[in-house]
This record gives sequence, C-alpha cells and structure tokens, in this order.
Amino acid sequence: MSKITREPIDVIELSSRVEMETNGAVVSFVGQVRNHSRGQDVIGLEYEGYEEMAEKVMERIADEATSRWPVQVAMQHRLGKMQVGEVTVAIAVGSPHRDEAFEACRFCIEAIKSEVPIWKKEFGSDGSYWIEGENRTPIRLQSESVEGNDVPAVP
Amino acid sequence: MDDDDPSPAVKRLLGAHMPTAGGLANSLYAGKEIGCTAVQLFTSSPRQWQHTPLSDETIAGFKQAKSKTGIAFTCAHDSYLINLAAYDNTVLERSQRAFLGELQRAHELEIPWVVTHMGAYLDMTLEAGQQKLISSLKRLLEETSDLTAGIALETTAGQGTGLGYRFDQIAEVLEGVGPHPRLGVCLDTCHVFVAGYDIRTPEGFDQVIQEFDKTIGLHRLMVIHANDAKKSLGSRVDRHEHIGEGEIGVEAFSLLVNDPRLLSIPIILETPDADKMHAVNLAKLQRLAAAATMGMHIHVRLFGHYSESDQNDQELAVPSGLSVQKLTDILAERDPNLRDMASICRVAINEEYASLDTTLKEGDVVAFVPPMSGG
Ligand SMILES: [Zn+2]
Ligand SMILES: [Zn+2]
Repeated sequence: MSKITREPIDVIELSSRVEMETNGAVVSFVGQVRNHSRGQDVIGLEYEGYEEMAEKVMERIADEATSRWPVQVAMQHRLGKMQVGEVTVAIAVGSPHRDEAFEACRFCIEAIKSEVPIWKKEFGSDGSYWIEGENRTPIRLQSESVEGNDVPAVP
Repeated sequence: MDDDDPSPAVKRLLGAHMPTAGGLANSLYAGKEIGCTAVQLFTSSPRQWQHTPLSDETIAGFKQAKSKTGIAFTCAHDSYLINLAAYDNTVLERSQRAFLGELQRAHELEIPWVVTHMGAYLDMTLEAGQQKLISSLKRLLEETSDLTAGIALETTAGQGTGLGYRFDQIAEVLEGVGPHPRLGVCLDTCHVFVAGYDIRTPEGFDQVIQEFDKTIGLHRLMVIHANDAKKSLGSRVDRHEHIGEGEIGVEAFSLLVNDPRLLSIPIILETPDADKMHAVNLAKLQRLAAAATMGMHIHVRLFGHYSESDQNDQELAVPSGLSVQKLTDILAERDPNLRDMASICRVAINEEYASLDTTLKEGDVVAFVPPMSGG
C-alpha cells in the first residue's frame, strides 16, 4: 500500500484503499508543489530518491503506524519533474475514529519527511538548488529533460 | 612447497584433522592433496586405551612426509577416553598414563602440541574436578620435562559436566598449574559458540577475542579449530557443521581467517565427512582469506548534491575490514567536495540505516544520505 511512483498520484483512488465499513473516518494528507520557497518564486521542481530504499522505508513507516493505532494506511510519493500545484505525496488513513486517524496521518507525513531518502531540486527565479533539510546547494549539473527520462548533461 | 603463490608477509596456516588410515604419514599426504598447510591427527586410535609404541619406521616415514609435503604445522588430538579430571583413581591413572603416551608419541614425531579436552567432573563439584585437572597437568608436565611436545587445553562446549567451557575456567586452570612454556590453549569456534560466546557479528567476534585475551591471553593460543555448529548459541551441545552452513554462519569464519590478531595461529577444520567435505570446507576458508588479502568490492551511492560527484555510483576496491568512516576519508581524498559528507549524511548499508563505525563487507552497497526533503 506504500509506493514510489513517477505517475501523477490519484488521491481519490488512494483514499478508496482505506475505506472500510468499520471506519468512521478517513484522513488524507496531500502535499503539493507551491509557487514559492525561501523567498524565491518556484517554477517547478524535481524529486529524486534512493528508490530501492525509499519504498522499504515507507513500508516500515506504514507498519509502524498500523501497529501504534487501529488504522489502515496507504501512501504514495511521486518522483520526477512536477509543476506548481501537482501532488508530490499523498497519505490516506482510515480508522474507526478520527483522533487516531489524524494522529497516525501526522505521524506518517513527519516520518516521511525525516526518514524516506528523497530529495527535492527546486527550479526558481534566482536559480536551481538541491534542497537538503535546511540547506540549499546550487545545482552544478543541469539535467536535460528527455521525455520521461533525465539524462545528465556533460558539465 | 609451491613457491609460485604470491604469499603475504605472514602465511596463514590452514588445514584439517586428517584421517591416518594406512599410516600416520598418510594424514600429511592426504592433507597436502587438498591444500592443507596445517594438519591435526590422532597418533593412536582415539577409542582405545591400548597403544603400541611407534616404530622407527613410522617415525621416519612421518618426518619424511612432513618435509615432502612442506606442511608447516602439525598437532595431535588426544584419545576421547582420556579424562584428566577423573575422580576415579583407576581412570585418572589410566588417563595420565595414556596422556604421557600422547606426549611421548608427539615428541617422537616432532609434533609440537597435543590438544586435549579438559575432562569432565562427573559426580564431583566443578571446583573439585578443576583441582584434579590441575594436579594431572602439573604431574604430566613435570614427568615430561625432557620432551618437546606441549599440552593445548581446548575450549569445550560444556556438554554435561565437561570442564573448560568458560574462558575464566580455563584461566583458573592455567593459573593453578602456573605459567609453563609447554602449556597452551586451543580455541574451537563451535565449542565457544554453543558455550554462549556469540561470534556471528564483527562486534561480537571482536568482543569474544578481547575477552579471551583478557582472561586467558592470546599468547597462550596455539591452534584454532574452525567448525560451524549444528546447535544454537548457548545450547552447550557439541555437533560440528560444515563451514557457513550452521548456526554460526560464514561471516564469523571470514572474521576468523582475517583477524590480524590471529594471523599467526594455525586453523584446523574438524567438520563432518572428512573424506568428501574437508576439501570443500578448506577451499571455503581459503577463499575467505584470499578475499581479504585482495581487498573487497563495495558499491558507493551518493545522493542530493553529492550525487554530482564523479565518485557516485561506482564499484570500489577497498581493503577488507574497512569501516564506513574510513571509506568517507577515501572518498574525500578522491573528491574534496565530499569532505563534509561524514558529518552531514546518514549512512545506509544495503538499504538499511547504519552507523559510521560499521565494518563493511564484500558486496555491500553503501549509500550516503544527506538530510532529506521529500514530502
Ligand atoms: Zn575441536
Ligand atoms: Zn567438538
């Protein structure tokens, strides 16, 4: 129920995976690309990940949530280039009661941010940067966008 | 000896307990055939009290086999019947006499050590058994002062009332006898493992060797028996298994053959099915040792802005036993942009977060994970 995808995320479909008749609540979190970051206008961004590991870690986070709360969890993180407004991550948590659903959902997004090996490259008005926690490092190697496939240019 | 193999400074001696069917010298010829540089043997039938003195012919034949095969280290294993801690005086007397025979034969064959299990205390207390053993050893050493062969006490599995399954018990016996140049120790990997010493991980292995050194002293270690274990940690049941196929697993044996502290100690296999499997198990140990002298290969992956380094996504040949911390030094030397990586990144080995002082293994995928920004 946890996966990394390069396709647009279908939030409705994701929620439907945790809908059960015993559930009184489904809480979803949807992260999307915003048009500004640290004072610069963002035109678009690109997520890169350590894919083999990222999916495992997400799986583990979901397991942790379901062991702590009586919930079902589904989540997806998207990688690749995205425009402002596109969905980067979505989490759906179903539970008999809303308190647990909110708590578990909050836990999942915080854990994703701190544990899942995924990084953002921001393309903005004042340049392109690697975002690593609080750090911003200019991108040296610009990747050329080939349909569905990024090939690093020669520096 | 083959002179064409590129020998490291210290040649690690590896071999097996070889059968003596057809004569004692055959243990050496058969050992040489499968690539032994060290051989252990019984100098008489291990299930009989009876033994006839060695003929001059046998002694000469064995010495000739030694020089022909170039086997650098030999040791003898004593008869299974011997109990140097026996309460019953008849058994004790018999055991001591049989062991004098063991030492005499080893001396004549120029075998430097006779390995013995430390006996069982049966109906006595452990302390009383230990005292019996101490006086036996004292007597044996005194009465054989003109012989060259020494006694190597083997760490045991602690089956039943067997003595010597804890290092401190062995240390007590050694202390009781007093320091003697002809009194040493043999470490058996299967025995220490089933006795409760966990040698399966680099940390565990290191700790066990450190404890051995602290209690017994590595200078006392004369020979190592390399056996995997059929039974679990702490089970105190002695069943040997092929290398890498038992409860101990292959990593401990890689650590064993490559530990610089143990490099000069001969290693002897006592695994099952000698005729067919000694060659296989020996080749396994040799491979593990060779992999280390030639170094190992790991795969390095860098992420975030570090992924722009030409050091990203490469197969790297590095010395064995390298820690992640040392790897970051190597990478920083190759690309100064990676200098702060150790302080900024988390490390993942084979897709699991790990610590900087982890020791790397052949084939590991090492990833440096900067602070993340997913979500
Ligand atoms: Zn042994
Ligand atoms: Zn044994």
